[in-house]
Amino acid sequence: MFKELDPLLHSQLRLGVMSLLISMEAAEFTFLKEKTNSTAGNLSVQLDKLSEAGYITIEKSFKGKKPLTTCKITRKGIKAFEEYVNNLKDYIKK
Amino acid sequence: MKDENKDLSAEQSLALISGMIRQAQGNVSYSTKYILLWGWCIALANLGMYGLMKFSTYPHPYVVWLITIPATIVSIIYGIKEGKEKITHSHLDKITMWLWLSLFFIIPPVITFGYKINFQINPVILLLTAFPTFITGIILRFKPLLVGGICFWACSIICFMVDAQTQMLLGALAVITGYLIPGYLLKRIKV
Repeated sequence: MFKELDPLLHSQLRLGVMSLLISMEAAEFTFLKEKTNSTAGNLSVQLDKLSEAGYITIEKSFKGKKPLTTCKITRKGIKAFEEYVNNLKDYIKK
Repeated sequence: MKDENKDLSAEQSLALISGMIRQAQGNVSYSTKYILLWGWCIALANLGMYGLMKFSTYPHPYVVWLITIPATIVSIIYGIKEGKEKITHSHLDKITMWLWLSLFFIIPPVITFGYKINFQINPVILLLTAFPTFITGIILRFKPLLVGGICFWACSIICFMVDAQTQMLLGALAVITGYLIPGYLLKRIKV
């Protein structure tokens, strides 16, 4: 019996963001946008979804006069990501 | 990257994950200013002490090492400023930072208890410096720093076999080959 893949992570952009954040201490919005090759609007919506689920934290501040959005993965996010990868492995073994 | 999931197979998901992780890991930042600052500082201190020992009768030639105090202060100021400006950190950034910070904590006891190791302070410090230099070379995937680490290690071994004056010259040589040359090569790539 295979566990269902977490629908929140089983999306290209959200999975991309989580994969980047799992390897980082923290990442700026512009860094995530560049690495995932996404649009600011789409990325912003997907980050909000991950944040609402408690998988990441989003901190908004200012760097000089420029607004700065910093994202970090949470413990809950790490656990969900690990579970997702383990379930994926099961699917592939099948 | 679109937010569609209907076509994302298990294999594609894993490929996406590993691709993104590789991108994040490749995002190691480096600052040549620390390498150059400390390269010059230690090279000048070594050469200064050699000069005082060889050409003067001044009884405390080691005072030249006091130039490491302003270098430390400048490093701390740079570090605080960079920490505030730089938001995106990878785990490897953190490892590199602690690798070098740990050297700051390891060196003072070596100097303090130098009399217990027959004042073989210079070779021990060179040996200790070989380690973070080599590892930083691996993290940055930058061969001149790997070679630099090996130079520190080799100079340290020779240092154990020579007199105190020659140790200073070897110290300067190690810093020039281990820090300054890789530092300037790294700076050239960055520009």
